[in-house]
Amino acid sequence: MHLTQELELFPDYKVTQMLFKEVKNAAALRQSAVEGKLQCALINPTMLVNHFQVLVAANKAVHLQKTGKMKTRNIYSEIIFNLSPTNNISEAFKRFGISDGDDGVMVVLVHNKDETELFSDIVAKVDGLQVPVGDISSLSDHAKIKKLYKVTPQEEKCGTLLDAVVCRMATKDVM
Amino acid sequence: MAAPEFLRKAEVIKQGAEARVYRATFLGNPTIVKERFPKRYRHPVLDEKLTHRRTLQEVRSILRCRRAGISAPVVYFVDYMSHCIFLEEIVSSSTVRDHIASAQQSGSCKQQDLEQLAERVGQILAKMHDEDVIHGDLTTSNMLLRCSPDNGEWDLVLIDFGLSYISALPEDKGVDLYVLEKAFLSTHPNTEALFEKLLKSYTASSKKSPAVIKKLDEVRLRGRKRSMVG
Ligand SMILES: Nc1ncnc2c1ncn2[C@@H]1O[C@H](COP(=O)(O)O)[C@@H](O)[C@H]1O
Repeated sequence: MHLTQELELFPDYKVTQMLFKEVKNAAALRQSAVEGKLQCALINPTMLVNHFQVLVAANKAVHLQKTGKMKTRNIYSEIIFNLSPTNNISEAFKRFGISDGDDGVMVVLVHNKDETELFSDIVAKVDGLQVPVGDISSLSDHAKIKKLYKVTPQEEKCGTLLDAVVCRMATKDVM
Repeated sequence: MAAPEFLRKAEVIKQGAEARVYRATFLGNPTIVKERFPKRYRHPVLDEKLTHRRTLQEVRSILRCRRAGISAPVVYFVDYMSHCIFLEEIVSSSTVRDHIASAQQSGSCKQQDLEQLAERVGQILAKMHDEDVIHGDLTTSNMLLRCSPDNGEWDLVLIDFGLSYISALPEDKGVDLYVLEKAFLSTHPNTEALFEKLLKSYTASSKKSPAVIKKLDEVRLRGRKRSMVG
């Protein structure tokens, strides 16, 4: 169900994504993450076009951590910040982090080995239904994504929405 | 340093004067990596600054084009420490250069096809210049034809914005076209009429074209004078 991808640039690092629907304890999960008891990024899946968007954010987060250039406290907050098209940190959390009433959650982990224990620990903590990461397309809100990333109609003619979003994320620090 | 190590195992596809281009897999996707390396003869601090600026300009021009609906590779990641840009590989594509060359070989039946292509190039360049993007190295090798998997139509993708910059000056746009004209006519023999078609379409597509074409004429004249003298 989960999806694990090795970061080619950082061969010691892997990124795992787990998608949940019908989540009933979003508030408690968020609280645990804030307190540092839950080491992961909790992302609002309506803002994701697909898993590649998360990989781009995670790769950049590891790169910035290694070069001492992170803008936020840890690798997980940095992933959420990197998803956002703007440099406003609290805005990034509001849009891309989960809110207390949310019923969908994408859990993102950055790890070294195949951490089966870590995965089952997360699954145990989420009161919800785990679904394949590919199901993200049925949860994502394209209208909202287009608006937030300011994707122009002509831009969609020369590529996909994912292309536009990834480009914004990768280049936000130079615009 | 992650990127240099990663690139040591990647396939080099071009070794240029200021950059190497590689083909690799990145986040599971076919990717082109462009790495700018230091120039030893420049002062290290100055070199670092110039290299950084070139990388920024390349990324900015690509984004500006894409926003305007001009196809260019998606930027996946930029590493400002090692001056690497990770770009979408335009798969199942061929260069406009190869396309023109093979059409010319196969005879006159392709003439109409070529004219259509020239018109398309003219339109896209007009659009790019209307966005004030100067490509800086326009050649038929830096234009790719990609077949869309959805509808089977051809899409023209501009690549290699390594020498690009933003400018509204008709002179800069005129020189951009002049560079293309030189490259076009020397790469593809007997294509004067075809290039005229391209310019005609450029002229028709951009409101700002009269000033640009006027500059192009001036630059051509200067070029000719220079070659007569030297
Ligand atoms: N995004 C790309 N997709 C496919 N091929 C590319 C791409 N970028 C560069 N190339 C190829 O690599 C060569 C050198 O790249 P460049 O220095 O950007 O012109 C080009 O002539 C193309 O054949």
